[in-house]
Amino acid sequence: MRHQNATAYRFLAPYLLIFSVFWVWPIISSFLISFQATRTVPWRWAPTFNWGRLIGDPAFFNALKNTLLILVIQVPVMISLAIVMAVLLNSPLLKARGLYRFAFFAPVVVGEVAYSAVFRLMFNLNFGIINKLLNSVGLPSIDWFSNVTPAMALIMIAVTWRWAGYNAIILLAGLQSIPDDVYEAATLDRVSKVKQFFYITLPLLKPIIVFCAVLSIIGTMQLFTEPFLITERGGPGGGTETLGLLLYRQGFRSLNFGYASAVAYTMAGLAIAITLVQLWLTKEPK
Amino acid sequence: MAAVTLSNVVKRFGVYEIIHGANIDIADGEFVVFVGPSGCGKSTLLRMVAGLEDISGGEIAIGGKVMNDVEAAERGIAMVFQSYALYPHMTVEQNLSFGLRMNGNPKADTERRVKRAAEILCIDELMQRRPKQLSGGQRQRVAIGRAIVREPQVFLFDEPLSNLDAELRVQMRVEISRLHKELGVTMIYVTHDQTEAMTLADRIVVLKAGNVEQIGAPLDLYDDPANRFVAGFIGSPKMNFLAAKVVEADNGSATVELVNHAGARLKKPLQTTPPAVGADVVLGVRPEHFFDAGQGDCDIAVKADVAEHLGSVSYVYADAGGTELIIEREASRHRASGDDLVVSIKAGKALLFDTKGARIR
Ligand SMILES: Nc1ncnc2c1ncn2[C@@H]1O[C@H](COP(=O)(O)OP(=O)(O)O)[C@@H](O)[C@H]1O
Ligand SMILES: [Mg+2]
Repeated sequence: MRHQNATAYRFLAPYLLIFSVFWVWPIISSFLISFQATRTVPWRWAPTFNWGRLIGDPAFFNALKNTLLILVIQVPVMISLAIVMAVLLNSPLLKARGLYRFAFFAPVVVGEVAYSAVFRLMFNLNFGIINKLLNSVGLPSIDWFSNVTPAMALIMIAVTWRWAGYNAIILLAGLQSIPDDVYEAATLDRVSKVKQFFYITLPLLKPIIVFCAVLSIIGTMQLFTEPFLITERGGPGGGTETLGLLLYRQGFRSLNFGYASAVAYTMAGLAIAITLVQLWLTKEPK
Repeated sequence: MAAVTLSNVVKRFGVYEIIHGANIDIADGEFVVFVGPSGCGKSTLLRMVAGLEDISGGEIAIGGKVMNDVEAAERGIAMVFQSYALYPHMTVEQNLSFGLRMNGNPKADTERRVKRAAEILCIDELMQRRPKQLSGGQRQRVAIGRAIVREPQVFLFDEPLSNLDAELRVQMRVEISRLHKELGVTMIYVTHDQTEAMTLADRIVVLKAGNVEQIGAPLDLYDDPANRFVAGFIGSPKMNFLAAKVVEADNGSATVELVNHAGARLKKPLQTTPPAVGADVVLGVRPEHFFDAGQGDCDIAVKADVAEHLGSVSYVYADAGGTELIIEREASRHRASGDDLVVSIKAGKALLFDTKGARIR
């Protein structure tokens, strides 16, 4: 038995080696780095240097506030939208289902740079289609990129566009696992379609919804692409800077790895904490 | 309570016609079983009564009211599904009361109905459990309970026992029968199992490939089947079919000779014009209608192959010149395989069919 295990571990060794060097070590290493002053040569052990700075840094709290704001608004909106999309996609009345499924999933595989460029064009102040549409219904143009509120809205719209379909596809799988005859039984029980949705579909879909919410929370905590590419590095004036962006700015622009590591650990810690709270709140009563 | 009438009911899925004009009258309070092989359209027919499938042609009336355009919810029926279709996230109690609660039924009345259903089905102890925590038989009871709570005019069952083990099936069969007596409500029950049909039904509707083959009381179907399909489907073990030829025919009778047994002749009295001399026919004989040699109208020699001893009776599988026969015997408990056996057929206990399967009476 021991001998067999040893053989198995020898086969696993190449993977375990790579996993240790490129996964485990960076995780440990960055934790250690977060306790070092990294703007001096050589780096110096200074346990409170980065963490002390973090709790008093307005840039950090700005990024934290922006990230949480996006999280609190965008995730519920997107999940709700995804549920509606999934229900429509599951409707027997829908024609060309495959086409919709592809269309919903496509944003995920579109290149980030291309998608960001398109969004920048669409929301352009002077010739973007969004402002043209607003004008055509009598609304004034919005300068999406120069004001904080529209810029934040833009980030949320973009993230929602990119990930709603993805979540809808996951939710669709959950919907399809609810047997038809449960709905038929409810129909014979004289329960209306709307009530069936709220009293049967939603409760049975709950584990999948929680799963999607957890994925989205983790994703949004790390939000980087959209504020980097669409609102140009967290513009206007840091108004859309997220924790991910702050990390990047500190680590790779200012080469302050110690502080960046502290930010990274804060992001991970928050994501875990929020997820645990979420799981606890939605736990099945036993 | 209500009578159910199906007139010329047709069902099409796209271009495929699945039910070809069914006419069935079900009296108020009657227990009717739709039986037939898998895929013959039993469920489809039942779901049309329930309103879960729309009706492509003809009419379905419940309690004298045409239901074609009435929503399933408004038809006053309750259905028990093969898979039980319980609400997985609700307790038994919530499962039973869900429909009533959603429709704003007074709380006291809901409680009364749930309590009564629980008592009838002996599921009081299970009220706080979820479907996951129940055995198959218990789930089935809950599913039936949910139907009872609705106090429907008509109960519909779609193969409700097919997911249960044999012993439980017999037990639940008796309970459903008792339930019917207790409630006195019209019940339509679908099964592919002829034993269930025979034991439960006031009347049986035999279906084959979307056609109603025969409707009648269980023993009438057994004794007097309209055609070879019904004769073969009803009864276990199955009726034996022996190839024969008409050798003599006159007004009121025909004499047939078995193809595999030269000289074995049987004179069968008939009420209709007999088939022409020389015509091929099929003789149907139930396993219990083989008698000891010399006791019937015509003896045939067969070779015993395998015997199944059930205690009270034995079934001998025998070879009759290439045709396998199942012969019920009480006296041949210890017959070895390969033995020659002579059995006898009585004209009065044999049925005659033409080669298309229609009965020649
Ligand atoms: N929704 C459907 N679409 C197309 N064909 C169907 C559908 N439902 C049932 N059928 C067909 O109708 C026939 C009868 O089905 P069903 O009523 O379920 O049979 P049974 O219950 O007697 O086994 C089958 O040949 C089946 O393939
Ligand atoms: Mg069926």
